[in-house]
Amino acid sequence: MSTVAVEHASPVVPSPWFKRIAWHLRHNRKADLWIAWWTMVVFYILFGIVFVLMTHVMPPPSPAATTEQVVQWFGRIRTGILDGFSIIFLITGMAAVCNAIIAYSMSRMSVSKAFPYAYILLYSLSAIPGMLYSAILLSVGALRPDRDPALLHWLYDGAFLAFMGTMGIFLLGTLVWLIAILIDKNRVLPPWFGYLNICNLLTEVVVAPCWTQRRGAFSWSGSISFWVDTLIFALYTVAFILVLRRMVEREDFGTGALP
Amino acid sequence: MIEVTAAAALPSTQRAQPDAFAERLSGAWAFIAFECVTFSAYFVIYMLYRMRDPETFARAQTHLSPTFGVANTLILLTSSWQVARSVHSARAERYSDAQRQGAFTLALGVVFVVSKLSEWSLELSRGYTFGTNDFFAFYFFLTGIHIVHVLVGFAFMIAAMTKLRTEERHPQTMEVAGIYWHMVDLLWVIIFALLYVVR
Amino acid sequence: MTQLRNVWLVLCGITLLSWWLGSEHSAPSTQAAALITYGALLITGVKVRLIVVKFMEAHQQSKRLQLAMDAWLLALVVGLAAIYAFKVSMPPV
Repeated sequence: MSTVAVEHASPVVPSPWFKRIAWHLRHNRKADLWIAWWTMVVFYILFGIVFVLMTHVMPPPSPAATTEQVVQWFGRIRTGILDGFSIIFLITGMAAVCNAIIAYSMSRMSVSKAFPYAYILLYSLSAIPGMLYSAILLSVGALRPDRDPALLHWLYDGAFLAFMGTMGIFLLGTLVWLIAILIDKNRVLPPWFGYLNICNLLTEVVVAPCWTQRRGAFSWSGSISFWVDTLIFALYTVAFILVLRRMVEREDFGTGALP
Repeated sequence: MIEVTAAAALPSTQRAQPDAFAERLSGAWAFIAFECVTFSAYFVIYMLYRMRDPETFARAQTHLSPTFGVANTLILLTSSWQVARSVHSARAERYSDAQRQGAFTLALGVVFVVSKLSEWSLELSRGYTFGTNDFFAFYFFLTGIHIVHVLVGFAFMIAAMTKLRTEERHPQTMEVAGIYWHMVDLLWVIIFALLYVVR
Repeated sequence: MTQLRNVWLVLCGITLLSWWLGSEHSAPSTQAAALITYGALLITGVKVRLIVVKFMEAHQQSKRLQLAMDAWLLALVVGLAAIYAFKVSMPPV
Protein backbone atom coordinates (compact mmCIF):
# COMPACT_ATOMS: atom_id res chain seq x y z
CA MET A 1 0.00 0.00 0.00
CA SER A 2 1.53 3.28 -1.06
CA THR A 3 2.03 5.71 1.76
CA VAL A 4 3.05 8.53 -0.48
CA ALA A 5 0.32 11.11 -0.33
CA VAL A 6 -0.38 12.90 -3.55
CA GLU A 7 -1.14 16.49 -2.76
CA HIS A 8 -3.65 18.28 -4.90
CA ALA A 9 -3.49 22.04 -4.94
CA SER A 10 -6.46 23.01 -2.72
CA PRO A 11 -8.92 25.25 -4.50
CA VAL A 12 -9.30 28.67 -2.95
CA VAL A 13 -12.78 28.79 -1.47
CA PRO A 14 -14.01 32.27 -0.54
CA SER A 15 -14.70 32.74 3.14
CA PRO A 16 -17.97 34.62 3.74
CA TRP A 17 -20.60 31.89 4.02
CA PHE A 18 -22.80 33.15 1.19
CA LYS A 19 -19.87 33.35 -1.21
CA ARG A 20 -18.81 29.87 -0.13
CA ILE A 21 -22.23 28.45 -0.94
CA ALA A 22 -22.21 30.22 -4.31
CA TRP A 23 -18.74 28.82 -5.02
CA HIS A 24 -19.91 25.28 -4.17
CA LEU A 25 -22.97 25.61 -6.36
CA ARG A 26 -20.77 26.53 -9.27
CA HIS A 27 -17.79 24.24 -8.77
CA ASN A 28 -18.71 21.31 -6.52
CA ARG A 29 -19.55 18.22 -8.58
CA LYS A 30 -21.67 16.94 -5.73
CA ALA A 31 -23.67 20.15 -5.31
CA ASP A 32 -26.91 18.56 -6.53
CA LEU A 33 -26.44 15.58 -4.21
CA TRP A 34 -25.86 17.83 -1.23
CA ILE A 35 -28.89 19.95 -2.12
CA ALA A 36 -30.96 16.78 -2.28
CA TRP A 37 -29.59 15.54 1.05
CA TRP A 38 -30.23 18.84 2.82
CA THR A 39 -33.72 19.00 1.32
CA MET A 40 -34.39 15.60 2.87
CA VAL A 41 -33.15 16.74 6.29
CA VAL A 42 -35.23 19.93 6.21
CA PHE A 43 -38.28 17.98 5.03
CA TYR A 44 -38.15 15.54 7.92
CA ILE A 45 -37.58 18.30 10.45
CA LEU A 46 -40.61 20.21 9.12
CA PHE A 47 -42.64 16.99 9.01
CA GLY A 48 -41.82 16.37 12.65
CA ILE A 49 -42.66 19.91 13.70
CA VAL A 50 -45.98 19.89 11.85
CA PHE A 51 -47.18 16.40 12.71
CA VAL A 52 -46.04 16.38 16.33
CA LEU A 53 -46.09 19.94 17.58
CA MET A 54 -48.59 21.78 15.41
CA THR A 55 -51.28 19.32 14.44
CA HIS A 56 -50.87 16.75 17.28
CA VAL A 57 -51.40 13.91 14.82
CA MET A 58 -48.43 12.16 16.37
CA PRO A 59 -49.06 10.72 18.90
CA PRO A 60 -52.61 10.24 17.67
CA PRO A 61 -55.68 10.61 19.82
CA SER A 62 -57.56 7.43 20.60
CA PRO A 63 -59.91 5.57 18.23
CA ALA A 64 -62.06 4.93 21.29
CA ALA A 65 -62.92 8.62 21.59
CA THR A 66 -66.62 9.54 21.63
CA THR A 67 -68.03 11.94 19.08
CA GLU A 68 -68.08 14.66 21.71
CA GLN A 69 -64.39 14.12 22.47
CA VAL A 70 -63.62 14.27 18.75
CA VAL A 71 -65.41 17.60 18.42
CA GLN A 72 -63.44 18.93 21.39
CA TRP A 73 -60.18 17.69 19.88
CA PHE A 74 -60.86 19.51 16.62
CA GLY A 75 -61.83 22.60 18.56
CA ARG A 76 -58.60 22.60 20.55
CA ILE A 77 -56.24 22.06 17.64
CA ARG A 78 -58.10 23.91 14.90
CA THR A 79 -55.53 26.57 14.09
CA GLY A 80 -52.65 24.12 14.54
CA ILE A 81 -54.21 21.82 11.93
CA LEU A 82 -54.92 24.56 9.42
CA ASP A 83 -51.53 26.27 9.80
CA GLY A 84 -49.51 23.10 10.06
CA PHE A 85 -51.04 21.31 7.12
CA SER A 86 -50.79 24.35 4.86
CA ILE A 87 -47.04 24.02 5.39
CA ILE A 88 -47.27 20.34 4.47
CA PHE A 89 -49.18 21.09 1.29
CA LEU A 90 -46.46 23.58 0.32
CA ILE A 91 -43.54 21.25 0.97
CA THR A 92 -44.99 18.04 -0.51
CA GLY A 93 -42.53 18.27 -3.39
CA MET A 94 -39.65 17.83 -0.98
CA ALA A 95 -40.80 14.25 -0.42
CA ALA A 96 -40.05 13.57 -4.07
CA VAL A 97 -36.48 14.77 -3.55
CA CYS A 98 -36.09 12.30 -0.65
CA ASN A 99 -37.17 9.52 -2.96
CA ALA A 100 -34.77 10.78 -5.60
CA ILE A 101 -31.66 10.58 -3.45
CA ILE A 102 -32.63 7.12 -2.24
CA ALA A 103 -33.16 6.01 -5.83
CA TYR A 104 -29.80 7.60 -6.69
CA SER A 105 -28.14 5.32 -4.15
CA MET A 106 -29.56 2.34 -6.05
CA SER A 107 -28.49 3.67 -9.41
CA ARG A 108 -24.92 3.82 -8.10
CA MET A 109 -25.11 0.17 -7.02
CA SER A 110 -24.13 -2.78 -9.19
CA VAL A 111 -27.78 -3.86 -9.35
CA SER A 112 -30.20 -3.50 -12.25
CA LYS A 113 -31.72 -0.07 -12.94
CA ALA A 114 -35.10 -1.72 -12.40
CA PHE A 115 -34.56 -1.21 -8.68
CA PRO A 116 -34.38 2.60 -8.61
CA TYR A 117 -37.18 2.86 -11.18
CA ALA A 118 -39.44 0.53 -9.19
CA TYR A 119 -38.66 2.47 -6.03
CA ILE A 120 -39.49 5.81 -7.62
CA LEU A 121 -42.74 4.46 -9.04
CA LEU A 122 -43.77 2.95 -5.72
CA TYR A 123 -42.84 5.90 -3.60
CA SER A 124 -44.32 8.46 -5.97
CA LEU A 125 -47.62 7.23 -4.61
CA SER A 126 -46.46 7.20 -1.00
CA ALA A 127 -47.11 10.84 -0.18
CA ILE A 128 -50.84 10.29 -0.55
CA PRO A 129 -51.47 7.77 2.23
CA GLY A 130 -48.41 8.81 4.17
CA MET A 131 -49.21 12.45 4.43
CA LEU A 132 -51.67 14.15 2.10
CA TYR A 133 -54.87 12.18 2.57
CA SER A 134 -54.88 12.63 6.34
CA ALA A 135 -53.83 16.25 6.04
CA ILE A 136 -56.71 16.95 3.65
CA LEU A 137 -59.33 15.18 5.77
CA LEU A 138 -58.28 16.87 8.98
CA SER A 139 -58.02 20.27 7.32
CA VAL A 140 -61.52 19.87 5.91
CA GLY A 141 -62.74 18.99 9.38
CA ALA A 142 -61.05 21.98 10.94
CA LEU A 143 -62.16 24.45 8.29
CA ARG A 144 -65.65 25.06 9.65
CA PRO A 145 -65.99 25.12 13.46
CA ASP A 146 -69.71 24.28 13.32
CA ARG A 147 -69.42 21.08 11.32
CA ASP A 148 -71.82 18.21 11.97
CA PRO A 149 -70.18 16.12 14.75
CA ALA A 150 -70.89 12.88 12.93
CA LEU A 151 -69.02 14.23 9.90
CA LEU A 152 -66.13 15.29 12.09
CA HIS A 153 -65.96 11.81 13.56
CA TRP A 154 -65.88 10.35 10.03
CA LEU A 155 -63.04 12.66 9.01
CA TYR A 156 -61.16 11.80 12.22
CA ASP A 157 -61.46 8.05 11.65
CA GLY A 158 -60.59 8.36 7.96
CA ALA A 159 -57.55 10.53 8.61
CA PHE A 160 -56.01 8.35 11.30
CA LEU A 161 -56.75 5.02 9.68
CA ALA A 162 -55.23 6.28 6.43
CA PHE A 163 -52.20 7.72 8.17
CA MET A 164 -51.45 4.67 10.33
CA GLY A 165 -52.76 1.75 8.38
CA THR A 166 -51.91 2.18 4.71
CA MET A 167 -48.45 0.75 4.68
CA GLY A 168 -48.39 -1.53 1.65
CA ILE A 169 -46.48 0.91 -0.56
CA PHE A 170 -43.84 1.51 2.08
CA LEU A 171 -43.51 -2.22 2.61
CA LEU A 172 -42.81 -2.90 -1.06
CA GLY A 173 -40.51 0.10 -1.45
CA THR A 174 -38.48 -0.92 1.57
CA LEU A 175 -38.23 -4.43 0.16
CA VAL A 176 -36.87 -3.09 -3.13
CA TRP A 177 -34.21 -1.02 -1.36
CA LEU A 178 -33.39 -3.88 1.01
CA ILE A 179 -32.72 -6.39 -1.76
CA ALA A 180 -30.69 -3.84 -3.74
CA ILE A 181 -28.45 -3.07 -0.75
CA LEU A 182 -27.80 -6.71 0.10
CA ILE A 183 -26.93 -7.85 -3.41
CA ASP A 184 -24.96 -4.73 -4.31
CA LYS A 185 -21.27 -5.30 -4.99
CA ASN A 186 -20.30 -1.63 -4.97
CA ARG A 187 -20.75 -1.31 -1.21
CA VAL A 188 -22.73 1.88 -1.65
CA LEU A 189 -24.60 1.42 1.63
CA PRO A 190 -23.44 -0.68 4.61
CA PRO A 191 -24.90 -4.18 5.20
CA TRP A 192 -26.21 -3.27 8.67
CA PHE A 193 -28.46 -0.70 7.05
CA GLY A 194 -29.65 -3.27 4.51
CA TYR A 195 -30.68 -5.53 7.37
CA LEU A 196 -32.29 -2.61 9.23
CA ASN A 197 -34.64 -2.32 6.26
CA ILE A 198 -36.12 -5.64 7.39
CA CYS A 199 -37.08 -3.99 10.69
CA ASN A 200 -38.75 -1.09 8.89
CA LEU A 201 -40.49 -3.49 6.53
CA LEU A 202 -41.92 -5.41 9.45
CA THR A 203 -43.27 -2.23 11.08
CA GLU A 204 -45.52 -1.92 8.05
CA VAL A 205 -46.97 -5.31 8.95
CA VAL A 206 -47.35 -4.50 12.64
CA VAL A 207 -49.77 -1.61 11.97
CA ALA A 208 -52.17 -3.79 10.01
CA PRO A 209 -54.36 -4.72 13.02
CA CYS A 210 -55.26 -1.05 13.58
CA TRP A 211 -58.06 -1.44 11.04
CA THR A 212 -59.92 -3.78 13.38
CA GLN A 213 -58.95 -2.59 16.84
CA ARG A 214 -60.60 0.35 18.54
CA ARG A 215 -58.61 0.03 21.73
CA GLY A 216 -55.56 -1.71 23.10
CA ALA A 217 -52.00 -2.21 22.02
CA PHE A 218 -52.89 -2.74 18.34
CA SER A 219 -55.17 0.22 17.76
CA TRP A 220 -53.87 3.20 15.80
CA SER A 221 -52.75 4.85 19.05
CA GLY A 222 -51.67 1.60 20.73
CA SER A 223 -48.41 0.97 22.53
CA ILE A 224 -47.31 -1.51 19.88
CA SER A 225 -48.90 -0.34 16.64
CA PHE A 226 -48.05 3.28 17.28
CA TRP A 227 -45.35 3.78 19.92
CA VAL A 228 -42.95 0.90 19.28
CA ASP A 229 -43.54 1.12 15.55
CA THR A 230 -42.95 4.87 15.34
CA LEU A 231 -39.80 4.59 17.45
CA ILE A 232 -38.39 2.05 15.01
CA PHE A 233 -39.38 4.23 12.08
CA ALA A 234 -37.74 7.28 13.69
CA LEU A 235 -34.49 5.36 14.27
CA TYR A 236 -34.63 4.05 10.71
CA THR A 237 -35.10 7.59 9.37
CA VAL A 238 -32.10 8.88 11.31
CA ALA A 239 -30.12 5.87 10.03
CA PHE A 240 -30.88 6.45 6.38
CA ILE A 241 -30.18 10.16 6.63
CA LEU A 242 -26.74 9.31 8.08
CA VAL A 243 -25.86 6.53 5.61
CA LEU A 244 -26.93 8.67 2.65
CA ARG A 245 -24.69 11.46 3.90
CA ARG A 246 -21.80 8.99 4.03
CA MET A 247 -22.66 7.89 0.51
CA VAL A 248 -22.54 11.44 -0.84
CA GLU A 249 -19.21 12.02 0.93
CA ARG A 250 -17.74 8.84 -0.57
CA GLU A 251 -19.19 9.31 -4.06
CA ASP A 252 -16.55 9.20 -6.75
CA PHE A 253 -18.87 9.17 -9.79
CA GLY A 254 -17.29 5.94 -10.98
CA THR A 255 -18.97 2.63 -11.69
CA GLY A 256 -17.07 0.37 -9.30
CA ALA A 257 -17.04 0.05 -5.55
CA LEU A 258 -17.29 3.26 -3.58
CA PRO A 259 -14.09 4.06 -1.68
CA MET B 1 8.61 5.94 1.32
CA ILE B 2 6.44 3.39 -0.43
CA GLU B 3 5.47 0.31 1.59
CA VAL B 4 4.12 -2.77 -0.09
CA THR B 5 2.29 -5.05 2.28
CA ALA B 6 1.50 -8.69 1.66
CA ALA B 7 -2.14 -7.84 1.35
CA ALA B 8 -1.44 -5.51 -1.52
CA ALA B 9 0.06 -8.40 -3.47
CA LEU B 10 -3.33 -10.18 -3.59
CA PRO B 11 -5.77 -9.33 -6.38
CA SER B 12 -8.19 -6.69 -5.16
CA THR B 13 -11.30 -8.92 -5.15
CA GLN B 14 -9.76 -11.41 -2.76
CA ARG B 15 -8.35 -8.70 -0.58
CA ALA B 16 -11.82 -7.22 -0.25
CA GLN B 17 -13.48 -10.56 0.63
CA PRO B 18 -12.56 -11.00 4.30
CA ASP B 19 -13.33 -7.31 5.00
CA ALA B 20 -16.64 -7.48 3.18
CA PHE B 21 -17.62 -10.63 5.05
CA ALA B 22 -16.60 -9.27 8.44
CA GLU B 23 -18.62 -6.15 7.71
CA ARG B 24 -21.62 -8.21 6.67
CA LEU B 25 -21.43 -10.43 9.74
CA SER B 26 -21.14 -7.54 12.20
CA GLY B 27 -23.97 -5.80 10.33
CA ALA B 28 -26.06 -8.94 10.73
CA TRP B 29 -25.33 -9.04 14.46
CA ALA B 30 -26.31 -5.38 14.83
CA PHE B 31 -29.61 -6.25 13.16
CA ILE B 32 -30.09 -9.29 15.41
CA ALA B 33 -29.53 -7.15 18.49
CA PHE B 34 -32.00 -4.55 17.23
CA GLU B 35 -34.67 -7.18 16.58
CA CYS B 36 -34.16 -8.75 20.01
CA VAL B 37 -34.70 -5.35 21.63
CA THR B 38 -37.80 -4.69 19.49
CA PHE B 39 -39.33 -8.02 20.43
CA SER B 40 -38.45 -7.37 24.05
CA ALA B 41 -40.65 -4.28 23.86
CA TYR B 42 -43.50 -6.51 22.62
CA PHE B 43 -42.84 -9.01 25.43
CA VAL B 44 -42.81 -6.34 28.13
CA ILE B 45 -46.02 -4.77 26.80
CA TYR B 46 -47.61 -8.25 26.74
CA MET B 47 -46.70 -8.77 30.38
CA LEU B 48 -48.04 -5.33 31.32
CA TYR B 49 -51.36 -6.09 29.61
CA ARG B 50 -51.41 -9.49 31.29
CA MET B 51 -51.00 -7.95 34.73
CA ARG B 52 -53.92 -5.61 34.08
CA ASP B 53 -56.31 -8.51 33.55
CA PRO B 54 -54.67 -11.74 34.74
CA GLU B 55 -57.90 -13.72 35.06
CA THR B 56 -58.94 -13.14 31.45
CA PHE B 57 -55.46 -14.02 30.25
CA ALA B 58 -55.27 -17.17 32.36
CA ARG B 59 -58.71 -18.31 31.24
CA ALA B 60 -58.01 -17.59 27.57
CA GLN B 61 -54.69 -19.38 27.80
CA THR B 62 -56.40 -22.66 28.62
CA HIS B 63 -57.85 -22.64 25.11
CA LEU B 64 -54.39 -22.94 23.60
CA SER B 65 -53.00 -26.33 22.77
CA PRO B 66 -49.76 -26.99 24.70
CA THR B 67 -49.09 -29.92 22.39
CA PHE B 68 -48.86 -27.60 19.44
CA GLY B 69 -46.69 -25.22 21.43
CA VAL B 70 -44.19 -27.86 22.46
CA ALA B 71 -44.18 -29.51 19.04
CA ASN B 72 -43.45 -26.18 17.36
CA THR B 73 -40.65 -25.48 19.82
CA LEU B 74 -39.06 -28.87 19.18
CA ILE B 75 -39.36 -28.37 15.41
CA LEU B 76 -37.58 -25.02 15.54
CA LEU B 77 -34.90 -26.25 17.96
CA THR B 78 -34.16 -29.12 15.59
CA SER B 79 -34.02 -26.76 12.62
CA SER B 80 -31.56 -24.58 14.56
CA TRP B 81 -29.41 -27.63 15.23
CA GLN B 82 -29.42 -28.47 11.53
CA VAL B 83 -28.44 -24.98 10.41
CA ALA B 84 -25.63 -24.93 12.99
CA ARG B 85 -24.41 -28.23 11.54
CA SER B 86 -24.67 -26.79 8.06
CA VAL B 87 -22.50 -23.81 9.00
CA HIS B 88 -19.88 -26.11 10.54
CA SER B 89 -19.94 -28.36 7.48
CA ALA B 90 -19.52 -25.41 5.16
CA ARG B 91 -16.56 -24.11 7.19
CA ALA B 92 -14.95 -27.54 6.88
CA GLU B 93 -15.67 -27.39 3.12
CA ARG B 94 -18.01 -30.41 3.29
CA TYR B 95 -20.39 -28.70 0.92
CA SER B 96 -22.77 -31.55 0.12
CA ASP B 97 -23.25 -32.13 3.86
CA ALA B 98 -23.85 -28.41 4.32
CA GLN B 99 -26.46 -28.37 1.59
CA ARG B 100 -28.25 -31.41 2.96
CA GLN B 101 -28.36 -29.92 6.44
CA GLY B 102 -29.52 -26.59 5.02
CA ALA B 103 -32.29 -28.42 3.20
CA PHE B 104 -33.32 -30.08 6.48
CA THR B 105 -33.46 -26.66 8.11
CA LEU B 106 -35.68 -25.33 5.37
CA ALA B 107 -37.91 -28.42 5.45
CA LEU B 108 -38.36 -28.12 9.21
CA GLY B 109 -39.18 -24.45 8.73
CA VAL B 110 -41.92 -25.43 6.31
CA VAL B 111 -43.23 -27.98 8.81
CA PHE B 112 -43.30 -25.21 11.43
CA VAL B 113 -45.32 -22.93 9.16
CA VAL B 114 -47.79 -25.70 8.33
CA SER B 115 -48.11 -26.56 11.99
CA LYS B 116 -48.68 -22.92 12.92
CA LEU B 117 -51.37 -22.52 10.25
CA SER B 118 -53.07 -25.66 11.55
CA GLU B 119 -52.97 -24.32 15.07
CA TRP B 120 -54.46 -21.00 13.96
CA SER B 121 -57.26 -22.72 12.07
CA LEU B 122 -57.95 -24.79 15.17
CA GLU B 123 -58.28 -21.69 17.31
CA LEU B 124 -60.33 -19.86 14.69
CA SER B 125 -62.67 -22.81 14.32
CA ARG B 126 -63.26 -22.67 18.04
CA GLY B 127 -64.26 -19.05 17.64
CA TYR B 128 -61.15 -17.34 18.98
CA THR B 129 -59.97 -14.48 16.81
CA PHE B 130 -57.64 -11.49 17.07
CA GLY B 131 -60.51 -9.46 18.49
CA THR B 132 -61.74 -11.99 21.09
CA ASN B 133 -59.77 -10.47 23.95
CA ASP B 134 -56.35 -8.99 24.73
CA PHE B 135 -54.75 -12.41 25.21
CA PHE B 136 -55.80 -13.62 21.79
CA ALA B 137 -54.78 -10.32 20.23
CA PHE B 138 -51.27 -10.91 21.59
CA TYR B 139 -51.39 -14.60 20.65
CA PHE B 140 -52.16 -13.90 17.02
CA PHE B 141 -49.85 -10.89 16.90
CA LEU B 142 -46.79 -12.56 18.44
CA THR B 143 -47.17 -15.78 16.49
CA GLY B 144 -48.01 -13.79 13.34
CA ILE B 145 -45.05 -11.44 13.43
CA HIS B 146 -42.88 -14.42 14.29
CA ILE B 147 -44.09 -16.38 11.25
CA VAL B 148 -43.24 -13.41 9.04
CA HIS B 149 -39.70 -13.62 10.47
CA VAL B 150 -39.64 -17.33 9.60
CA LEU B 151 -40.56 -16.49 6.01
CA VAL B 152 -37.74 -13.94 5.86
CA GLY B 153 -35.55 -16.76 7.18
CA PHE B 154 -36.58 -18.86 4.18
CA ALA B 155 -35.25 -16.13 1.90
CA PHE B 156 -31.92 -16.09 3.77
CA MET B 157 -31.64 -19.90 3.67
CA ILE B 158 -32.43 -20.13 -0.03
CA ALA B 159 -29.86 -17.42 -0.78
CA ALA B 160 -27.30 -19.24 1.39
CA MET B 161 -27.89 -22.60 -0.23
CA THR B 162 -27.68 -21.08 -3.69
CA LYS B 163 -24.34 -19.51 -2.78
CA LEU B 164 -23.05 -22.91 -1.61
CA ARG B 165 -23.80 -24.37 -4.98
CA THR B 166 -22.01 -21.74 -7.08
CA GLU B 167 -18.39 -21.91 -8.10
CA GLU B 168 -17.26 -19.65 -5.27
CA ARG B 169 -18.70 -22.08 -2.73
CA HIS B 170 -18.17 -19.84 0.19
CA PRO B 171 -19.97 -20.39 3.50
CA GLN B 172 -20.43 -16.74 4.29
CA THR B 173 -24.06 -16.32 3.36
CA MET B 174 -24.86 -19.46 5.35
CA GLU B 175 -23.14 -17.93 8.39
CA VAL B 176 -25.45 -14.91 8.19
CA ALA B 177 -28.50 -17.08 7.44
CA GLY B 178 -27.53 -19.28 10.38
CA ILE B 179 -27.43 -16.57 13.01
CA TYR B 180 -30.67 -15.08 11.68
CA TRP B 181 -32.33 -18.49 11.91
CA HIS B 182 -31.10 -18.95 15.49
CA MET B 183 -32.61 -15.58 16.35
CA VAL B 184 -35.97 -16.71 14.98
CA ASP B 185 -35.62 -19.84 17.12
CA LEU B 186 -34.73 -18.03 20.32
CA LEU B 187 -37.58 -15.56 19.86
CA TRP B 188 -39.96 -18.48 19.55
CA VAL B 189 -38.55 -20.02 22.74
CA ILE B 190 -39.51 -16.83 24.58
CA ILE B 191 -42.91 -16.57 22.88
CA PHE B 192 -43.66 -20.19 23.81
CA ALA B 193 -42.93 -19.50 27.46
CA LEU B 194 -45.01 -16.30 27.54
CA LEU B 195 -48.06 -17.63 25.71
CA TYR B 196 -48.18 -21.28 26.72
CA VAL B 197 -46.46 -21.66 30.08
CA VAL B 198 -46.50 -18.45 32.12
CA ARG B 199 -49.57 -18.45 34.37
CA MET C 1 -20.51 -31.69 15.69
CA THR C 2 -21.29 -33.95 18.64
CA GLN C 3 -21.34 -30.89 20.83
CA LEU C 4 -24.06 -29.41 18.64
CA ARG C 5 -26.13 -32.56 18.98
CA ASN C 6 -25.70 -32.55 22.74
CA VAL C 7 -26.79 -28.94 22.96
CA TRP C 8 -29.85 -29.82 20.91
CA LEU C 9 -30.70 -32.75 23.18
CA VAL C 10 -30.37 -30.56 26.26
CA LEU C 11 -32.59 -27.87 24.69
CA CYS C 12 -35.26 -30.43 23.80
CA GLY C 13 -35.06 -31.94 27.24
CA ILE C 14 -35.50 -28.56 28.92
CA THR C 15 -38.46 -27.84 26.64
CA LEU C 16 -40.17 -31.04 27.69
CA LEU C 17 -39.46 -30.13 31.29
CA SER C 18 -41.18 -26.78 30.89
CA TRP C 19 -44.09 -28.53 29.16
CA TRP C 20 -44.50 -30.74 32.18
CA LEU C 21 -44.25 -27.66 34.36
CA GLY C 22 -47.01 -25.94 32.45
CA SER C 23 -49.31 -28.88 31.94
CA GLU C 24 -49.91 -29.68 35.55
CA HIS C 25 -52.82 -27.40 36.40
CA SER C 26 -55.37 -25.56 34.34
CA ALA C 27 -56.34 -23.42 37.35
CA PRO C 28 -53.34 -23.31 39.66
CA SER C 29 -53.22 -21.61 43.02
CA THR C 30 -51.52 -18.23 43.03
CA GLN C 31 -48.40 -19.72 44.56
CA ALA C 32 -48.22 -22.56 42.05
CA ALA C 33 -48.82 -20.08 39.23
CA ALA C 34 -45.95 -17.92 40.45
CA LEU C 35 -43.61 -20.91 40.65
CA ILE C 36 -44.56 -22.02 37.16
CA THR C 37 -44.04 -18.51 35.82
CA TYR C 38 -40.66 -17.91 37.45
CA GLY C 39 -39.61 -21.41 36.48
CA ALA C 40 -40.62 -20.83 32.89
CA LEU C 41 -38.77 -17.50 32.70
CA LEU C 42 -35.64 -19.02 34.19
CA ILE C 43 -35.76 -22.01 31.85
CA THR C 44 -36.29 -19.68 28.92
CA GLY C 45 -33.24 -17.68 29.92
CA VAL C 46 -31.14 -20.84 30.04
CA LYS C 47 -32.39 -22.01 26.64
CA VAL C 48 -31.84 -18.65 24.96
CA ARG C 49 -28.32 -18.40 26.40
CA LEU C 50 -27.49 -21.88 25.13
CA ILE C 51 -28.64 -20.89 21.66
CA VAL C 52 -26.69 -17.62 21.72
CA VAL C 53 -23.47 -19.18 23.00
CA LYS C 54 -23.44 -22.64 21.41
CA PHE C 55 -25.34 -22.15 18.16
CA MET C 56 -24.77 -18.49 17.34
CA GLU C 57 -21.23 -18.47 18.79
CA ALA C 58 -21.57 -14.85 19.89
CA HIS C 59 -18.43 -14.99 22.02
CA GLN C 60 -16.41 -15.95 18.96
CA GLN C 61 -17.67 -12.92 17.09
CA SER C 62 -16.62 -10.60 19.91
CA LYS C 63 -16.53 -10.66 23.70
CA ARG C 64 -18.40 -7.36 23.85
CA LEU C 65 -21.18 -8.83 21.75
CA GLN C 66 -21.52 -11.80 24.09
CA LEU C 67 -21.64 -9.39 27.01
CA ALA C 68 -24.31 -7.31 25.28
CA MET C 69 -26.46 -10.36 24.53
CA ASP C 70 -26.08 -11.57 28.12
CA ALA C 71 -27.03 -8.15 29.45
CA TRP C 72 -30.08 -8.04 27.20
CA LEU C 73 -31.21 -11.52 28.23
CA LEU C 74 -30.75 -10.79 31.91
CA ALA C 75 -32.61 -7.50 31.65
CA LEU C 76 -35.48 -9.16 29.77
CA VAL C 77 -35.92 -12.11 32.13
CA VAL C 78 -35.54 -10.00 35.26
CA GLY C 79 -37.80 -7.29 33.81
CA LEU C 80 -40.57 -9.73 32.94
CA ALA C 81 -40.27 -11.41 36.35
CA ALA C 82 -40.41 -8.04 38.08
CA ILE C 83 -43.52 -6.96 36.18
CA TYR C 84 -45.13 -10.24 37.20
CA ALA C 85 -43.95 -10.04 40.80
CA PHE C 86 -44.99 -6.45 41.42
CA LYS C 87 -48.09 -6.66 39.23
CA VAL C 88 -47.01 -3.64 37.19
CA SER C 89 -49.71 -3.14 34.60
CA MET C 90 -50.97 -0.93 31.83
CA PRO C 91 -53.24 1.81 33.18
CA PRO C 92 -56.92 0.82 33.10
CA VAL C 93 -58.84 1.68 29.94
